[in-house]
Amino acid sequence: MAAPSSQPEAGARLIVAGLNHGFESDDGVQTALFSSLNFSVGPAEIVSIVGRSGAGKSTLFNLISGLLTAQAGRIEIGARPDGTRGRIAYMLQKDLLMPWRSVLQNALLGIELYRKVTRADIDRARDMLARYGLTSVLDAYPQALSGGMRQRVALTRTLLVDPTLVLLDEPFSALDYETRLALEDDVMSLRQSTGTSVVLVTHDIEEAIAMSDRVILLGGRPARIEDSVDVKLSTQGPRTAVSAREAPEFRTLHKRIWGGLRSNTIHHAGAST
Amino acid sequence: MSDAVISAGAARRRPRAKRLKGRAATGTVVTLIMVALVVFWQVAAGHAWINGQLFGSPLGIYKAADIGLTQGTLIPDTLTTLIETVLGLVIGSGLGIALGLLLWFVPRIAGVTEGFAVILNSIPKIALGPLIVIWFGSDMTSKVWLAGISTFAVAMISSCAAAREVDVDLLNLFRSFNAKPGMIFRKLIVPGALPWIFSTLRVNIGFALIGAVVGEYIASQSGLGHAVFVAGSLFDLNTVWLGIIILTLMATLLSWIVQLAENRIISWKTKR
Repeated sequence: MAAPSSQPEAGARLIVAGLNHGFESDDGVQTALFSSLNFSVGPAEIVSIVGRSGAGKSTLFNLISGLLTAQAGRIEIGARPDGTRGRIAYMLQKDLLMPWRSVLQNALLGIELYRKVTRADIDRARDMLARYGLTSVLDAYPQALSGGMRQRVALTRTLLVDPTLVLLDEPFSALDYETRLALEDDVMSLRQSTGTSVVLVTHDIEEAIAMSDRVILLGGRPARIEDSVDVKLSTQGPRTAVSAREAPEFRTLHKRIWGGLRSNTIHHAGAST
Repeated sequence: MSDAVISAGAARRRPRAKRLKGRAATGTVVTLIMVALVVFWQVAAGHAWINGQLFGSPLGIYKAADIGLTQGTLIPDTLTTLIETVLGLVIGSGLGIALGLLLWFVPRIAGVTEGFAVILNSIPKIALGPLIVIWFGSDMTSKVWLAGISTFAVAMISSCAAAREVDVDLLNLFRSFNAKPGMIFRKLIVPGALPWIFSTLRVNIGFALIGAVVGEYIASQSGLGHAVFVAGSLFDLNTVWLGIIILTLMATLLSWIVQLAENRIISWKTKR
């Protein structure tokens, strides 16, 4: 097990330290996917992980969400401020709504699976769905909803379990541009409302910059962290999906990350800018 | 947002009205063709264009029905076959579906069991008829067994497959919420398999009916299969036709009931 190179700050929501993982092909050849990944995500922080397809983004996602077990290293979910266990919830590009459940029932699924649903839960679900403009379709089945509405129901389902960390795997890539911007705002506003941390796995550099406090560039094979870019944007007014894209620093950051991704493709020996 | 929903609803209603109209038109055409065929059959038999002895005739079938009702055999025969079919269908499919779904908990055993089910399914079940009559006698029990066996393997194989083919991403979602296997089974596997279960039931109506009727052909004292078999050996073609018509109506009625249950239970499929 590799020792973590950087000291993760106290109270981190997610700590990934010395993570090594690979897979064995049918003929027994070991292929390493990651070598000693180290990073952490603080409270109310939004961190994007970008990389070319095949860089193992989705495997990393599955490792963090606990669907896969890492071969070596540490993935730790930080506790809540009151000391109780933290909780991860995730959301994919597919909304994964169940066609036989109404919008409200779909939203409540996460709670239903680990404890009895209470009146208060239902009220909370109604409130959250109302905030996303879904009051009129509470009892409708998902088939009647547009892609954006469905993704908002999925987001509600994700948030209702009170996660300390939300994992998003290209959640908006199937949506039209306008809806996507609106949903990016929804996720960014979590920072203020609930202090939920977010890890966003994406190949969309613009989305990564617009939404995140930090962009982690994953590259090479086995993949390692090529670059870690702090995103500080001087937006006009509050930072939103649109104002972030209009910030003067946006182009520069885009160029840096894009350059990192490209150089990585060409030499496979990742060069940090 | 609500505008979008309303307009989406309206957009769907229009084609639905069109579909209903199209269905009514198809129904009319089918009915007209049937009536024309029956009339032609009667005229052909009446004018001796075809041999009434070999083909029967609609009027003859009507008379056979009348005789059957006055002699009091028709209704008991129909009820006997109906009860055998329904019991066989419910018990055979019910056990098959329950076993097929429950095997989801034990994938290793499921593989082996499914192998046996495939073998069982490839046996022409009615070939087992003589055996089953020897084991269970010539009364209704043996027909229920035959109808049940005819439906069991199909029900098991398809519900096993339905449980296995559940969306991996949905399964992962449930796991990410720390759902226990029992929860996953109740809230994901069973509701997800329902559409498959209903289409299996519809197919099995036919199999159960074949099982019951062939069982009656082999050895029986009553039932439509019995009546058809006896009439056939006496060259009473009209009674044979009568039996076939009632069996057809029975199958139609049963699949209508299954359809009704399906519409109620998986209302999400129709209520869009």
